[in-house]
Amino acid sequence: MPPDLPLPLDGIRVTDFSWIVAGPQATRILADLGADVVKVENESYLDSMRIGLRQDPKNPSLNRSGFHSNLSRNKRSITANLFHPKGREAVERLLAASDVVIENFSAGAFGRMGFSWERLQEINPSLIYVSVSGFGHVGRDASYTTWGPSAQAISGATAMSGLADQPPAGWGFSYLDHSAGYYAAIAALMALHHRARTGEAQHVDMSQIECGMVVSAVPMLDYQINGRSYECVGNRSRYPATAPHNTYPCAGDDRWIAIAVDDEAQWAALCEVLGLAALCDDSRFTDMASRKAHEDALDEALAAVTCEREPFELMLELQERGVPTGVCQRTDDKQERDPQLAERGFYPTAPHEELGEHRYEGLPMQFSKARWRMDRGAPLLGEHNHAVLTELLGYSDEEFANMLGELAI
Amino acid sequence: MSGTDESQGDALPGPLEGLRVIEIGDLGEVAGKLLADAGADVIRVEPPGGGRSRRVGPFIDDDPGQPSLLHASRNTSKRAVTLDVRQAPGLELWRRLVGRVDVVIDATAPTFLDELGGGWEWAESQPELSGCVWCSISPFGRTGPRRDWAASDLVQLALGGPMMSNGYDDHSLPPIRPEGEHSIAVSNEYAVSGVLAALWMRNAGHSGQLVDVSIHEAVSATTEGAFPNWEYFGRLVQRQTGRHAAPDPTAAWQYLASDGQYVCLINGGLPRGNSAWDGLLDWMDEHDAAGDLRDGQYQELLFSDPRANPEGRRHVANTIGDFVQSRPAEEVYRRSQALHFAWGIVRRPEQNLDDPHWEDRGFFWQGEVPGVEGTVRYPGAPYRFTKSPVRLRRRPPLVGEHNHEVYVGELGLTSGELRGLLESGVV
Repeated sequence: MPPDLPLPLDGIRVTDFSWIVAGPQATRILADLGADVVKVENESYLDSMRIGLRQDPKNPSLNRSGFHSNLSRNKRSITANLFHPKGREAVERLLAASDVVIENFSAGAFGRMGFSWERLQEINPSLIYVSVSGFGHVGRDASYTTWGPSAQAISGATAMSGLADQPPAGWGFSYLDHSAGYYAAIAALMALHHRARTGEAQHVDMSQIECGMVVSAVPMLDYQINGRSYECVGNRSRYPATAPHNTYPCAGDDRWIAIAVDDEAQWAALCEVLGLAALCDDSRFTDMASRKAHEDALDEALAAVTCEREPFELMLELQERGVPTGVCQRTDDKQERDPQLAERGFYPTAPHEELGEHRYEGLPMQFSKARWRMDRGAPLLGEHNHAVLTELLGYSDEEFANMLGELAI
Repeated sequence: MSGTDESQGDALPGPLEGLRVIEIGDLGEVAGKLLADAGADVIRVEPPGGGRSRRVGPFIDDDPGQPSLLHASRNTSKRAVTLDVRQAPGLELWRRLVGRVDVVIDATAPTFLDELGGGWEWAESQPELSGCVWCSISPFGRTGPRRDWAASDLVQLALGGPMMSNGYDDHSLPPIRPEGEHSIAVSNEYAVSGVLAALWMRNAGHSGQLVDVSIHEAVSATTEGAFPNWEYFGRLVQRQTGRHAAPDPTAAWQYLASDGQYVCLINGGLPRGNSAWDGLLDWMDEHDAAGDLRDGQYQELLFSDPRANPEGRRHVANTIGDFVQSRPAEEVYRRSQALHFAWGIVRRPEQNLDDPHWEDRGFFWQGEVPGVEGTVRYPGAPYRFTKSPVRLRRRPPLVGEHNHEVYVGELGLTSGELRGLLESGVV
């Protein structure tokens, strides 16, 4: 991306009280798109991701987590102390100079820190407030809390992942921290468009669990209309009822390939590539319905052959023939050996004072007349205290020095 | 419950009121829905007979002749027209539709519309379309050596990495793809941010532009800790049953409660503070299940380095695990939450229909599904706008339901012309 292209959200400012993953995922998108995102932290409300996956746990630096750097790249950081009147005043000035404030504390915590919606409106009537919490700020269970996995469990997303004869497999990561972040970025942008049209700011109250419930819409409708309770199907395809559609073992240590046949031409090509011409003629497998009816035998016959095959070679052969196929890629496969991600520059590198030069996950889109940025890793804690307070918030150097001395900053 | 206005019902405009969108192809219906529920006028353009999701189940009464619930779930608040853009008169109408909108959601194959002369390349060359935001959503993006590879939701979740983090402790069992077409979900969520960002730029005086969204990249960006573990430590995470994949095995989080439903104990159930610890022991004592946990050494280790005394920690986790297996899941969930544990209950999706918390929030939208008597509850939106409600604006449209309204009422065709197009299979 040519560096002279504009950033779409240039001129938008976000006060970022977010922490861990869900909130920082939202502000990461806004920062990549060019918003000036200023993280506000303090010892008592530190983004604890700063101590997640640190490179050297014996080094007490709060700037050495690559996990944190990937989530908070392109942002700025100030350490305003809300327990000191001058620190609080600095935060209020920042809020007054911002378009959006985002936080993902437990419901009610931001209000207890002195920033109720009423107070935010007094500070800045055009400020948009996006809150992200497990159950939302409204409702009888609003005081309950979640982490990604418990939100996934409650939402139904965990139960929708697993083999029919096994416990739920669920998600091996906090999927709903990602998607709550994706939705929070959307919410902030929608609210900005609304404000641009009407002049009206608002509070957007988000629930992480609801982010999981919206992808469970089909089983919820199926239950109400057809009376069917949800049952797991593993990696098979219930709707449409296609087969073969599964993961199959390959040669190597814990190697698997996903094959999703959608029509008869693909089925014929699959049999040919696997050297299973006899399967094509087997009366149990002549069309989609018969294959579906004999899916256990079908999957067994395919697995007996795929387990001898090198997964990437098999994928290339099948893709050559138009069969939807993909290796279950590990992170090293994606970062070191995926020509598509490489060609599109999905893992750009950027510097970081303590972590050095590293790759970052990109934004999954390209603009023809704009760019997203991957300029620098996450800010050092308080790195932008001076720049933000003096250039943006109007404090003199002397005032700034006094605030430092009084531990207001 | 402070600080939120109760929405004033159906009268208030949504946050995207006034935005005009057309949507074509099979991979962008969720993006179209998110815009439509927020108040944009979204017209879905389907081939005559209807798009793919109408032919994918489940169907009402499991009858493939009845409307699809997959389609219903993704097409609320939209209008729908039919059009065969491969025929010359169809392409002409398509171009006229593009001329009326702010945003095109193009989820056809990357070269499909360009080869017909109705894609981004054409739009870019038309001065009067300089404000158009053209969002392409495709399996691998519009460029690159694998642009034209065949994909499906399963294939995308395999290639993008989530599957290798999902599954079981036993690695003779395969990596697992969660159901719900999450590759469509995450890519479409990103696409909406891209569209709104491009519109923001346009409203600031720039022209419109192409936003090229790759589903492979959207999925690849959605694996949380797998990326930093490799980038910074050269370590691969290993999938584990019902909890985070990790480079080294971790203690179990998921237990079968006494009523046959699973519960999810964050951090293996270990408390994070004294009050939670005391409350937990009191609760366990009610059932004579605390064992020796009142011994001070265990309380102490909860606040020490997580790597200290692994046997002691395992003993605490196992004792808690044994206890929760003796109680019903709903009790485990409610009692633990009251003690400020962030534990969860593993619900099937439909069980949330009975939880009044979501009604308190107005999460479910009462609406019609064509072919069903009365109304059902649709899962709504995960964001509650307090001034400009995001809500169900229309029930999902029937095939071609708005052909007359759009082609005659808005594009100015005569009824006779529309009839001719219908007869020749263009519409």
